[in-house]
Amino acid sequence: MALFAELRRRNVFKVALLYAAASWLIVWFVGAIQSEVSLPAWTNTFVLFVLAIGLPVSLQFAWTYEITPAGLKKAIDVEQTQSIVYKTGQKLNAAVAVLLVLGVLAVFGQRLLPKFEFLVPGIPEGDIPLSARVPAEIRSLMLGNGLKIVVWPDHDIPNVVMYDFVRAGGRNERPGITGLSHFFEHMMFLGTSTRAPGEFDSMMEAAGGANNAYTSADVTVYQDWFPRSALETIFALEADRLENLTTVAAVVESERRVVYSERRSSVDNNNFWKLAEQVQAVAFVAHPYQFPVIGWPSDIESWTQDDLINYYRTYYAPNNRTIIITGDVTPGEVFGLAEEYFSPTPAQERPPAVRTVEPEQQGVRRVEVVAAAQTPLLHLAFHSSRAADPSSLSMSLLLNILTRGESSRLHRALVEDEGLAISVDGYLDEGFDPGLTYFSLTLPPGGDPAAVERRVLDELRRVADAGVSEAELAKARNIMLADYWRGLATIDGKAEKLGQYEVFHGSFEKLFDLPHVLSAVATDDLRRVAATVFRVRNMTVGVLRSAETEDAE
Amino acid sequence: MIRLRALSALIVGFSFVSMASSQGVTLPDAQRVQLESGVVFILHEKHDVPLIGVQATIRGGAVSDPDGKSGLSSLLAGLLEKGAGDRDAATFAEAVDAVGGSLTATAGLEAITISGEFLARDSDLMVELLVDMLQAPTLDAAEMRKLRDRRINLIRAAKDGDLRPLTSTYGNAFLFGDHPYGTPVDGSEASLAKISHSDLLGYYRDFVGADRLVIAMAGDFDTAAMIDLLSGAFGEWSRAAAPLPEIAVAEPQRDRRVLLVDKPGATQSYFWIGNVGVDVGFPRRAELDIANTLFGGRFTSLLVEEMRTKAGLTYGARSSLLRPSTAGSVAIVSYTKTGTTIEAIDLALSLLAKIHAEGFSVDMLLSGKNYILGQFPPRLETAAQLAAQFAQLETLGLDASFIDDYADAIANADREVVHAVIGDVYPSVDDLVFVVLGDAGQLRDDVAKYGPITEISIAEPRFRP
Repeated sequence: MALFAELRRRNVFKVALLYAAASWLIVWFVGAIQSEVSLPAWTNTFVLFVLAIGLPVSLQFAWTYEITPAGLKKAIDVEQTQSIVYKTGQKLNAAVAVLLVLGVLAVFGQRLLPKFEFLVPGIPEGDIPLSARVPAEIRSLMLGNGLKIVVWPDHDIPNVVMYDFVRAGGRNERPGITGLSHFFEHMMFLGTSTRAPGEFDSMMEAAGGANNAYTSADVTVYQDWFPRSALETIFALEADRLENLTTVAAVVESERRVVYSERRSSVDNNNFWKLAEQVQAVAFVAHPYQFPVIGWPSDIESWTQDDLINYYRTYYAPNNRTIIITGDVTPGEVFGLAEEYFSPTPAQERPPAVRTVEPEQQGVRRVEVVAAAQTPLLHLAFHSSRAADPSSLSMSLLLNILTRGESSRLHRALVEDEGLAISVDGYLDEGFDPGLTYFSLTLPPGGDPAAVERRVLDELRRVADAGVSEAELAKARNIMLADYWRGLATIDGKAEKLGQYEVFHGSFEKLFDLPHVLSAVATDDLRRVAATVFRVRNMTVGVLRSAETEDAE
Repeated sequence: MIRLRALSALIVGFSFVSMASSQGVTLPDAQRVQLESGVVFILHEKHDVPLIGVQATIRGGAVSDPDGKSGLSSLLAGLLEKGAGDRDAATFAEAVDAVGGSLTATAGLEAITISGEFLARDSDLMVELLVDMLQAPTLDAAEMRKLRDRRINLIRAAKDGDLRPLTSTYGNAFLFGDHPYGTPVDGSEASLAKISHSDLLGYYRDFVGADRLVIAMAGDFDTAAMIDLLSGAFGEWSRAAAPLPEIAVAEPQRDRRVLLVDKPGATQSYFWIGNVGVDVGFPRRAELDIANTLFGGRFTSLLVEEMRTKAGLTYGARSSLLRPSTAGSVAIVSYTKTGTTIEAIDLALSLLAKIHAEGFSVDMLLSGKNYILGQFPPRLETAAQLAAQFAQLETLGLDASFIDDYADAIANADREVVHAVIGDVYPSVDDLVFVVLGDAGQLRDDVAKYGPITEISIAEPRFRP
């Protein structure tokens, strides 16, 4: 008891209390700023370690020393009558109170204040309801060179996904270099001035990572999937190929053959794409969406190394890219690595805009492909709008009603009830510029494409005239809502969806508005978009039929 | 047994499937329940998104198709979606689509699988539809004929399209011949045409029942309530009438033989080179997975590196392992332009000889291990993936150690054992079945060097001579 009283007299308990309050405030502060500034991941552990060591030291100090009017003295040397420990104790009480008040204010203050957007100039202020829907753990950063990085931490599995969206694709091509965007995507894996061809992949896979990439008419997207232990390796590899890519002649020639093999598999020996390639080429007369993303055969055979170098210089600039990272990371560590690895690459002049606007179609266009086929194909394409246009969402909903699932209108009528087709699919281009709404049907052997075309047009006219029912709209909404949640169930889906909204809709925040926007679409919006798009004058029809049926005619 | 029908729903088995995770490659906790009727439920709650994934597996599948009627189990699976309970085909499809759900039934070699995903708010509907599909499918004769005829035409359409997905169907059919693993799971044009409505009803009676069923569910639901719901629905379901077929171990191919599938005008050849391999219970699975990853299971594998990256012969090459309950197949699969067919096949064979002779280096081994471990966690990320994994293990009679001990087994795999496994599992270059799809007129003379040729047309309504 005497010891207890002495501990109390020498203010050891009060010092402990003060220490605890201060520690709590420090730990809280470090946590709060960690996601905003680039603190390394070990910061937390380090701070806790220092604080833990400090506790016994300060208690020992409080026990041993005493503050006197004459300065610091050993407590044992101070006469009890001269002691001012009581006054010191009162000061300590006041200090604890002040710290507690400060802490409470800071914690609540942070919750009440709007979310602090660190270093993100130029992001438009979303409306308040939208920003409230954006998960609070998502952070974005714009580097000085114009490269934007969005991070969505998710610690469910010890893995990370990186998507790099480059705003370059088939629409940036012209005759002579069609397919170059896609070929360039291949070259991105084939050597830099510091790494031999193949090293990019072998280093990544040895670190447990995997990668892929795809090219569309609008963008080229690089994807890395890796364990969190490989995070810095991936940054080093990505920075290297963006800074130091080389194009060695022998490698270009070998890879040209690989790409041709890809074309042979997906287009030349695949009736679906054989026809789709022709339909696209006919549907667009002016806009570069007419080019196949894989490239015309003669261009695959003849593009040059200079073409590749020019392309790299023009489009592979930090200010023409957006990087999305999801998974087992903190924004702080990602932004730190981004500063270190990606900020040295200088910004470049913006690539030239695609100026051509497809002129309005004046009447139906038709194209026919004759090929070895047991089953004829029918494709119908209609000019539609760009991804960012609100009517794209209406069209997506409408396509769900027309072609998604066995209960959809076209499947039920043409496949189940009338046996006119063995499959029917619908697809909407969602790019930077207005693309196509596309229907593809496979007919049974001997099927009559003209009759099936008439039947599809009946159904499309019916939507344009009478619209859809509330129940159908509700169904389409539910399908899109389930897709939305399915997409957010994986770190890969999260990265893809964030990127798509950031790139094609102008902000990743809009992704989280989708459930809200979906509920605002009305049946009349669907009828209106059907009436606008499903016009015969706006249509391109493609038919693939077999050589035998051609001979018979 | 005491005549207490209501008690047949009594839970007779009750245990936890697994322990806590380490390294992110172990199965999460799940509750396993076995009813007296034989049905097993495995349930795991996961509340990150408002979805429920379900997988119901019925042991059996294409290996139980009668002779000459391959595709019957697959057709039955398709019919399970074509009306059940009070709903006809259209109403059933509408019920699923209306809520944004998915519920599809497909057949595999040794099981029929129903996979579904619904928003959590629709869990009651999901269970109702699942119960109806399994216990009260309409199996309407007109719907059956419609689906059968459509499936025949879809195979024709597939033969007009990208042949990559069909290459292995031809390969396994030619390798296994009359053995059940040679069965094309979805049937052939000829075998489907022979299937009658009474075949379908007979198959349902003989091969679908409580003793064959596993239902695994993961996602945003309450376990206790779900057990009540499922126990009530499946407690009294009857057993299947016929025993499951015993699958004999297939005889490996000795020497070589070649199937040439003629697609006139094709500018590309597709090839499958293989032999009989191993079963799912193969004891040195980790070593085999490492070997296959390094040989043809990733982008920097030997096959891709040499055939694509260095030689520019193809866009893709891989080694594939089919591991069912008895010995399956092991094969090299790739494609190339018609003129380089022989060059590509010869290169593939030389690489097969190379791994037999040399195995893989210590560095490569480490790289392969890291790759497998690094790429594993995303395979068990979603509710639907977990449900599928739980159902698969239960169906194969495997326990959680199949997953939980895997990381350690990979990490500890030894170079010499990997080399020994290559010798035991991968065929010698002298004993192989070759299947080549392409323009036979341009290939016939050259592929003859690999062995005696059998030739069929792609339009032939089957996948083997």
